[in-house]
Amino acid sequence: MHEFSVTSQIVEAILKEAEKHSAKKVVEVHLDVGKLTFLGLEQVRFSYEVLVKGTIMEGSKLRIEEKDGIVKCSSCGYKGDFQYEDDPIYHIPTPTLHCPKCGETVEIVGGRECTIRDVKLLIDEGGKTNAN
Amino acid sequence: MKNVVKAEEGEIFDIELDFNILEANRKLATENKKLLQKNGIKAIDVMGSIGSGKTSLIEKLVHRLKGKYRMAAFKGDLTTTIDAELIARHGVDVVPINTGKECHLDANLIKKALKRINLKDINLLFIENVGNLICPAEFPLGSDKRIVVVSVTEGPYMVVKHPFIFMDADVVVINKVDLAQAMGVDVKKLKKDAKAINPKAKVVATNCRSGEGVANVIEALDL
Repeated sequence: MHEFSVTSQIVEAILKEAEKHSAKKVVEVHLDVGKLTFLGLEQVRFSYEVLVKGTIMEGSKLRIEEKDGIVKCSSCGYKGDFQYEDDPIYHIPTPTLHCPKCGETVEIVGGRECTIRDVKLLIDEGGKTNAN
Repeated sequence: MKNVVKAEEGEIFDIELDFNILEANRKLATENKKLLQKNGIKAIDVMGSIGSGKTSLIEKLVHRLKGKYRMAAFKGDLTTTIDAELIARHGVDVVPINTGKECHLDANLIKKALKRINLKDINLLFIENVGNLICPAEFPLGSDKRIVVVSVTEGPYMVVKHPFIFMDADVVVINKVDLAQAMGVDVKKLKKDAKAINPKAKVVATNCRSGEGVANVIEALDL
């Protein structure tokens, strides 16, 4: 629901970074998005397209890598994937806070990130131009 | 027309950023929490669906806890101060937060609101989030505990349809239980659904108009 505002923060941060390096063009952007965020990737892509129009990011490739959720159990030491609710009412795997190993309550330690991993910038060195 | 700018190998620079957008909010939330703790203030974030009774619950809690705590409330809404005024009737300081179009409160708005109250005057703060069972879960505010309120008038599937927010709840309140029969909703099933997602959450059934169950919410919050 808040993809547009999150994506506009992403675009703003990248434009700032590009300016710092006097970049001519942003070629590629690599995002990590945790599966536990409430960010719909299709909406992120759509917002991105709208937001980059008319900027040096226009036409850049947006690469999104989805990151799995990770939980940790303080009772048995388990660290890994969630236990999922197996009720057929859910059409998507619904994670629960039950430890898959011992059943105790787990803590979420991964899968909530939305990180700009890296950006590829086209930098014009020494006034050299790429356009004819 | 000029030719299309094409990137040549060697002119492209790969810049590692490692910048977590959501982390910015989390950092602010941690700062808020520290500020609250420094001033000895417990903060409770009340999330939940639209019309589930978040304001009624806060009203009842404020009313009952008046002798024990010095309280204030932040009331998030897209617009209006209608609910903020309802809480203010109980003689507590209320800061209305109008988000405009945003679907949730965030740590930055709370940071701003904290500047509007005298932190030395209170030791308990209720933060009512915008009515929404999705987005508020993504944005911690710096509270000690988070409540999620749903009510039976929203039907029997509110928990299973919005499982994610319940993972963040310390206390789940199922409100308007006096209407359960008329709505054909099984409160026990709703409780079970919440526990299936989050075994550590305390689940309390209430009727926030009469006050039924409010004492159990106070107990669940360790207040």
